Amino acid sequence: MEFSYEVKDSYAEVKADGRLNMVSAPKLREFVTDVIASGSNRIVVNLENTAFMDSSGLGALIGCLKAARQAGGDLRIAAVQPQVKMVLQLTSMDKVLTSYGSAEEAFGND
Amino acid sequence: MTNVLASRSFRGPAADEAIEAVHNHLDSLWLDVPFVGDMDQMTFTTAVIESASNIVQHAEPVGQDPVELGVDIEVQPALLQARVSAYNAKPPFGPMTPGSPDEDAESGRGLALIEALVTTVTFERQDGTNTWVLTRTSQHD
Repeated sequence: MEFSYEVKDSYAEVKADGRLNMVSAPKLREFVTDVIASGSNRIVVNLENTAFMDSSGLGALIGCLKAARQAGGDLRIAAVQPQVKMVLQLTSMDKVLTSYGSAEEAFGND
Repeated sequence: MTNVLASRSFRGPAADEAIEAVHNHLDSLWLDVPFVGDMDQMTFTTAVIESASNIVQHAEPVGQDPVELGVDIEVQPALLQARVSAYNAKPPFGPMTPGSPDEDAESGRGLALIEALVTTVTFERQDGTNTWVLTRTSQHD
């Protein structure tokens, strides 16, 4: 899995390309923690190229959400693909991790 | 008599690399059986990776030898089956029933997710080997 980020006007966009599994989940957590530490507390995780997520990956996203909120911001997810959507729905976490069609829309109305 | 249309097997140390290897086996397996629907592929892949990850993260060796992960997947005309094994492993510790973690919990969803994804989950223990057998009745005609 490859991570990258870009600071936009009102949020930082994190891309996580590949499989978000027990191997990459701790790396995502570390990556997002660093982005927050660098001064961005409004995070959009763009999952456009995240073909797979398991419960470890979901746990990492929840950890990142908590870290963003503790920093006074929020974390939202965008461009969710079918397998990730399925995992979010089956675990009822689609109610906790708000999903948007694109990274631009995630904080568009704030 | 079973009619196995395609299969894949993996055996190796229960480590991070094994998860990627099993996932690659699954991706290549689906190329051999394009008649298996996207939903079946997606759900079964997720269940197998969850089970294998559970072994890599939690299985403890019973003796001197390290735990090994074994995954055997078979596609039959209307059935997907995987045997996900922990060799040289202690019996699983703690309850094997799915938990119901708080919404801000960062772990504890794996077993419930596996049960939601497959048709049956059974557990076998024999000679220091724990095996989870996952089946999913395929939705294709």
